[in-house]
Amino acid sequence: MTGLDQLLGGFAIALSWKGLLYCFIGCLWGTIVGVLPGLGPLAGMTLLLPLTFGLDPAIGIIMLTGIFYGAMYGGSTTSILVRIPGEAASVVTCIDGYEMARQGRAGPALMVAAVGSFIGGTFSIIGLMLIAPPLAKVMIAIGPSVEVVLMLLALSVISVVSAGSRLKTIMMVALGLLLATIGLDHMTGLPRLTFGSTTLAGGLSFTSLAIGLFGISEILINLEKTDTIKAITPKLRDLVPRRKDIRDSAPAIGRASIIGFIFGVIPGVSHVVSTFVSYAVEKRFSAHPEEFGHGAIAGVAGPETANNAVTGTAMIPLLALGIPSIPATALLLSALTIHGVQPGPLLLTDHPEVFWSLVASMYIGNVILLILNLPLVGIFVNLLRIPYAWLVPIILIISVIGVYSVAFSSADIWLMVISGAVGYVLRKFGYEMAALLLAFVLGGRIDENLRLALTMSGGSYATFADHASLIVLTSVLGLLLVVQGLAWVFGYRKSVADEAESA
Amino acid sequence: MSHLDDPLRAGDDGGGALLRTISARRGGIGVAALLAITGLVFTWQAALSDFGDFALPGPGFFPLILGILVVVLAVVIGVGDWLQVASGEAVALGHRDVLIVLAAMLAVPPLFEPLGAYVTLGLFGAALLVLIARCSLLVAGLSAAIGMAACWYFFQVLLALRLPIGPF
Repeated sequence: MTGLDQLLGGFAIALSWKGLLYCFIGCLWGTIVGVLPGLGPLAGMTLLLPLTFGLDPAIGIIMLTGIFYGAMYGGSTTSILVRIPGEAASVVTCIDGYEMARQGRAGPALMVAAVGSFIGGTFSIIGLMLIAPPLAKVMIAIGPSVEVVLMLLALSVISVVSAGSRLKTIMMVALGLLLATIGLDHMTGLPRLTFGSTTLAGGLSFTSLAIGLFGISEILINLEKTDTIKAITPKLRDLVPRRKDIRDSAPAIGRASIIGFIFGVIPGVSHVVSTFVSYAVEKRFSAHPEEFGHGAIAGVAGPETANNAVTGTAMIPLLALGIPSIPATALLLSALTIHGVQPGPLLLTDHPEVFWSLVASMYIGNVILLILNLPLVGIFVNLLRIPYAWLVPIILIISVIGVYSVAFSSADIWLMVISGAVGYVLRKFGYEMAALLLAFVLGGRIDENLRLALTMSGGSYATFADHASLIVLTSVLGLLLVVQGLAWVFGYRKSVADEAESA
Repeated sequence: MSHLDDPLRAGDDGGGALLRTISARRGGIGVAALLAITGLVFTWQAALSDFGDFALPGPGFFPLILGILVVVLAVVIGVGDWLQVASGEAVALGHRDVLIVLAAMLAVPPLFEPLGAYVTLGLFGAALLVLIARCSLLVAGLSAAIGMAACWYFFQVLLALRLPIGPF
């Protein structure tokens, strides 16, 4: 079966009534959680996770992925119209997007953001389709030692690219790895770090931890803020951009597609960092850098394209290697595992229908989002009129039910509440939850593969420096060099953040 | 995040009598100390498992090393904060609404199975509507009842999720 046949097979699933319906539900819910501040893609996906339990794995993943990239689309709407980023990757869009809206040009800003998102998203799906299958073939041949090297490198990169204190990020990585070891040891079947509790023998639930650390802590932080907003709602006829807008934004969309594509495979907060890098690149390339911060359309087109270009490429390490690069893909990994599908090199041979239907659905989803976002922008903005104090109980109740329904255990609700409180305090003091969560997902596998590799090699650590490991190491270091080549851009991050703050 | 067009909250710029502002430096040291204690507890538990040896690690190998690493990192972060010149940066803790939500959430897990999901979550929702959204008891009660009916229909009927019903 050729790749084209498999892709057509994927389209057959994605274009079935069930595929289309759940893709639409995912995109719609994703847009809503993207619009509503405090609900990002991770919380949105977790909340609808129970809905997938009765579905075919391919359909369930289509819906969850729809939420992921739908949230990226939705985040731009509030950034432009209300100067409130619906989610972290839309922070930069606030700078020029809101300025454009204030100048009566909200329509073109929304249109360019939507079209850029579509192009960036489609570009990254093509990359996913072309890169993931051959990469998976290579990865099948590797042993546990290379997997350990790869996962440790992924965690190291998180520390390098983190926005906050590196030491605190390393601390979160260590804590995440430590929490992952709670429960029965896979090699010996003996309990570890369970404090004698049988409840802990099954390990900590990823869903509870993710909802607590991200969702609940975000709600608690948001409860402290009391600012009011005024939304600018454009009319449908105002959406058409001028010729100059197209001329200014087209190259920005092209460059940002590549930036998002590169950053998508880097673990950590790549979707957020890619937007800052894209903004800085556009400012540097612009003939009128002084316009940035005062309504430059390239300042909207670049970041919005970049954060959507990340969505496709972030799937490459997940689907080909089984390594999530951002928290949202970590949740997809968890969802796939719940459905009995193990992401990684064998996914394409064992469950090709999941991979190809996902690819096909992403093409369709991007079209759905383009159609959904522009005409219905007024409705989405009106969602912001619901008082936050009313949203809090709704979100929390759905979170409790979502978390409980994974294993039907009250212990998972306890874990969600405790991790929510801990996440709230840690975030207040500058610790990054993404690092903890990604380390938690990879921790069990690092431990297992490390010990397996040592057992296979008779206890020789030289196994981690064999030929295959060195190739992987060199490739990843090469990728890091590319990122470092963009390091000059990072110099702009602080100033961009300052501008965002003052905008 | 904003509270949007919520006039009831617009004037509430305080955050309650329990709101305390502490210096980021002092708070940072406190958090680092808590992390160090967490690391120590895990190290102690990991020490109870078989360490194996460096060539053939046992189940306690990875957790023990990580526990020690957490303690060391926490000490480094704490000492770093302690040596830091006071920047005047402050962190507010103990906001009224945050404390209410946390207290209400802590009541959910112990009641969830004995009292049933819908009663527990209905009470939880109503309490938050009264205390956070400042609705009247009647509005909060009605909203919670409608919300729970919707939850029951969506989760129990449409998704066939069997949530605990308690003694009812």
